[in-house]
Amino acid sequence: MILKVEGLSKSFGGLKAVNDARFAVAEASIHSIIGPNGAGKTTLFNLITGAIPPDSGTATFDNVDITRWTPDRLARAGLARTFQRTSIFKELPVDENVALAIRAREGISRAVWQSRGDAQMVAAEARDILARVGLDSRANAKAGDLAHGFQRALDIAIGLALKPRLILMDEPLAGMSRGDRETVASLITMLRDTLGLTVVVVEHDVGMVMRLSDRITVMQHGAVIADAPPDEIRDNAAVRSAYLHGSFAA
Amino acid sequence: MSDLAANPALERRASGRGLLIAGAALVAVAGALVPFWTTGAPFLLMLASQAVIAAILALSLDLLTGNTGLLSFGHAAWFGFGAYVAGLLAKLVTPEMLIVVPTTVIAACLVAAVTGAVLVRQIGKTFAILTLALSQIMFALVFVASDITGGEDGLQGVPVMTVLGQPVVQAQTWYWLLYGVLLAALAASLHIRRSPLGRAWLSIRENAERARFIGIDVNGLKLLAFVMSAGLGALAGALLALFNGAASPDLLSWFESGKILMFVVLGGVGTLVGPVLGGIVFTFAEHYVSSLTSAWLIYFGGLFILIVIVAPGGIFGVLGHAWRRMQGQGR
Repeated sequence: MILKVEGLSKSFGGLKAVNDARFAVAEASIHSIIGPNGAGKTTLFNLITGAIPPDSGTATFDNVDITRWTPDRLARAGLARTFQRTSIFKELPVDENVALAIRAREGISRAVWQSRGDAQMVAAEARDILARVGLDSRANAKAGDLAHGFQRALDIAIGLALKPRLILMDEPLAGMSRGDRETVASLITMLRDTLGLTVVVVEHDVGMVMRLSDRITVMQHGAVIADAPPDEIRDNAAVRSAYLHGSFAA
Repeated sequence: MSDLAANPALERRASGRGLLIAGAALVAVAGALVPFWTTGAPFLLMLASQAVIAAILALSLDLLTGNTGLLSFGHAAWFGFGAYVAGLLAKLVTPEMLIVVPTTVIAACLVAAVTGAVLVRQIGKTFAILTLALSQIMFALVFVASDITGGEDGLQGVPVMTVLGQPVVQAQTWYWLLYGVLLAALAASLHIRRSPLGRAWLSIRENAERARFIGIDVNGLKLLAFVMSAGLGALAGALLALFNGAASPDLLSWFESGKILMFVVLGGVGTLVGPVLGGIVFTFAEHYVSSLTSAWLIYFGGLFILIVIVAPGGIFGVLGHAWRRMQGQGR
């Protein structure tokens, strides 16, 4: 198990946003976290990625306790994240977006002098990564000029540049057209199948989640109510009632 | 080269770049020749020297604001700090520039490192207000320690500076020294802008949250920019005190901080070359307009508003736009 969440809790005022959440993620799998609005998915996500500190509980990544680690430390340890809203460097060229992450990974972000060899190595790797997500032909464009789906692909490319072992995605399909969703979904599958990455996805689109995931954790009112492969989740009574008013057609 | 020849667009861009470099070299040489043009007008040479100091000062603020997006309302703190520390060192210890100036810059960097460690954790308005507060504290310190700083009268009687024991008295020599410092600082800043460090700074200005999540030490790099900016600002102040033989509390005032910010906005935030031009243009304009009318501040305020609305890219933005149009017509 590459990621283990044990008893994570977080309250805001009187509200228990996340209450004793526990689940484990297998290496090289796609693991989704779903639940109705306000179930605590995003808070849980923020607790794991170090954006906010938990009240109690632990998260372990590759048997190392990563609870309360800062985001930059997590990134260096091989745990990357993408954001609900696409988060890229819009005014910079597409290839520079990726190069920034490569240099951060290599620990040369502070360098004032860079050898020609280093510069070429970084540029070549950036091209490679962009090719993986189908953006190599737009390497010189301004990132903010890309279409929405491509911006999301660039967001993922930035994450890949960190050579993560695990990548957490906060609603990667949110606000996408049908075509863009297919693009991003096949990208996620590619990450697992060709790069052997573990992907944890928080997602609203239950239909897509059922198709993509190896395992699904369902949350309601801040607690985990089910944790199983998609087939079992589909037949789970608690999940059905949680989604009674939602779209659980799949 | 065969690649270039095969691609006319690239070739044109390359020749345009060559033209741009040649033009920049020409301007740089013309700047160095100022003492020869002003042989009959010593005042003009003095004004030009002041303009060069203003340019270094403007560049120092752009290192912070342009690179990381942190807006300082109190940059005069470092200008005044440099002026007083250098003036006092020259008066009390030695007038040797090679000792006074590096010591002053190091002192500013140390103070900036300590205060900055707290300040750079703030963003936006909070940071701006805290920098203003810091400059006001330094302003107040001058009056608290008026026994040694001269208080309201300013620091007087700073001795003539020496370089390796040789007194620097000639106005021409002074100008070239200042001009040399400006060119060196500008070249270093432009180099850093293109280096990994400069790119990492830009990523913070663009999207600090994302920068943090790709593993960039955002606060550390902000602090580095803050310290470098303070160091260069103090260098400008040190040169001013040694050049004028005096320092006044006005150098630390919020009005001075506002002026530095205007240099940068007038020139074009984040362009490095722009703020340098902004500092020079502002210094000359301030002198000539204020000799014509006592209401010059009103005109400058109006000009400032106009620039922010009509040409947010400042002088550099306008020049860049004109350059691209010329390039476009060549097609």
